[in-house]
Amino acid sequence: MAGLELRNLEKSYGAVSVIEDINLTVADGEFVALVGPSGCGKSTILRMVAGLEEITGGDILIGDRVVNDLTPRERNIAMVFQSYALYPHMSVYRNLSFNLELAGKPKAEIERRVIQAARMLELEPLLERKPSQLSGGQRQRVAMGRAVVRDPSVFLFDEPLSNLDAKLRVQMRGEIKALHKKVGVTSIYVTHDQVEAMTLADRVVVLNRGVIQQSGSPMELYRRPANLFVAGFIGSPAMNFVDAVMQDGLARSAEGTDFAFAAGQKLAEGQAVVVGVRPEHLLVGGEGTAITGQISFVEPTGGQTFVTLDVHGRPVTVVISGEDDIALDGALTVRAAPHHVYVFDAASGERVSEN
Amino acid sequence: MTEAAPIDAATTASSGRRLSAGTQTYLYVSMLIIAGIVIIPLLTTALGGFKTLGELRGNPFGLPAEWQWSNYGNILTSQRYWMQMGNSLLIAGLTVFLTLLFASMAAFTFAHVKFFGSDFLLNYFLIGLMFPAATAILPLFIRIRDLGLLDTYWGVVLPQVAFGLGMSILLFRNYFKNLPPELFDAAFVDGAGYLRFFWHISLPLSRPIIATVGIISFVGSWNSYILPLIMLNSESKYPWPLGIMVYRGEFSTDWQLILAFITLTILPTVIVFFAAQKHIIAGLTAGAVK
Repeated sequence: MAGLELRNLEKSYGAVSVIEDINLTVADGEFVALVGPSGCGKSTILRMVAGLEEITGGDILIGDRVVNDLTPRERNIAMVFQSYALYPHMSVYRNLSFNLELAGKPKAEIERRVIQAARMLELEPLLERKPSQLSGGQRQRVAMGRAVVRDPSVFLFDEPLSNLDAKLRVQMRGEIKALHKKVGVTSIYVTHDQVEAMTLADRVVVLNRGVIQQSGSPMELYRRPANLFVAGFIGSPAMNFVDAVMQDGLARSAEGTDFAFAAGQKLAEGQAVVVGVRPEHLLVGGEGTAITGQISFVEPTGGQTFVTLDVHGRPVTVVISGEDDIALDGALTVRAAPHHVYVFDAASGERVSEN
Repeated sequence: MTEAAPIDAATTASSGRRLSAGTQTYLYVSMLIIAGIVIIPLLTTALGGFKTLGELRGNPFGLPAEWQWSNYGNILTSQRYWMQMGNSLLIAGLTVFLTLLFASMAAFTFAHVKFFGSDFLLNYFLIGLMFPAATAILPLFIRIRDLGLLDTYWGVVLPQVAFGLGMSILLFRNYFKNLPPELFDAAFVDGAGYLRFFWHISLPLSRPIIATVGIISFVGSWNSYILPLIMLNSESKYPWPLGIMVYRGEFSTDWQLILAFITLTILPTVIVFFAAQKHIIAGLTAGAVK
């Protein structure tokens, strides 16, 4: 086992720069999720760490060793692919043992390690089967087994659950978490699904356009997003935003709603800002700035109900408890408490409120 | 468990819709006509071998009144038949082996390794598609003579391999390129290099294309006439197309014997085709990805 460090990592294809000056340290045994929209460069970073993609600049360190020029095998990493990438002509056993065979391990050791990994992932009854005879979840477990069996320094997961249906995804999420707990190997997990990232990882790194936007614990990102992008990306349903300008210490929207908030720094009169409030922080009753709108539609999910209000032509999402007995038609007034109001500088996108 | 849904012969693969009765009739009638065009000459040849010469002239297409097993028996017991079969098999076997070996390795390189001049080199190979061996027969003869390979099996095998490479590389390369790239990544992470990936992953997954290229080069070599005619002098090295000419010279009026001889020489290609056919299975990569 070993930690991982990315120093000033860069990647460009010709003149097009896709990764810019990434610096990231992953502690030994830590589970870090790289999350961001499609094309943000998260998979490229993972492939560079794996050695499947050449780096343009900077260094990759596994343990204390610079691995820039080493092959994937020499880096001692294991990778789980989005498409599983199982060898279709080999049995599950051979899929698991293939890398040990290539490493020239003795037969007895190969068998011991394959059986051990198969037992851990409940694959023992499937060892003789071919991948085409397995279900999606079983294939995913074989893909993980193939990574576990080699006892790597770093685990790399490239959106491993995106091919599974919703129910199986939740189940496999649990299995990945349990697996990490059991083997405790440093892991990097790439996903575009922020729920997956938040539920699995010790630390979440949000990327956009090849640049790290924020790195922190899931709750830190949720509670204290560094900028507009992170605020909009983390949390489901997404945060509501409205443009505003500073006036008398309050953020006033174009419709004249004054938002009180905890200012972290002195803001100039007339400064353009963006106000953000999470749907779950817009409460029926309670205190703070009142927002009234017509209910345009309602999405019950059971425990929670998502209500979309039309506030001066702009949709505002509100989350209320499924148990709440509220008439869901006509107008609804909700309130945002000052400590739940996020204010971002409109020009830089940085958060300027103290939350 | 994901199980392949049973596929109805009368459904289209893309839409899964059932074809209309009219279209089905049209398809079946077309297939019957095509099958007839292929089968009738074969059957006539095979049955002709069981007739007497008189019957063959009077009733070329019907069943023989009396089956003349001796026509076939005499050929099968002659040493010449087996010698020519052996020559044909040896030449075809070497041609197939070398074509598969060189074409698969070259195609793998073109499919996976980008190097300076790779496109040019590939196009250079593909130019070979435009020239059948017969067009280059004179320079070929001179080159083979200079190499001292005249009247040897290699004098036939090597030009056949060279002229078959263009098409074979193209077929292999397209197949290799369509293998899921994640397999390459996974094998690379597992510690395989290009050679091991080629040997352990690409080739085992390429049985359909190996079978296809194998059949094409086998049949091409089996039926090749002009190259052996130019390159081989000793009758003991003749493959069957040359042997049949000699045979016809000897039995020029006994067409029933010539037909029997031809039937027996077709048999190995039919056997090879049916043996290889079972490997041409679609969906061999099922379960690799997703």
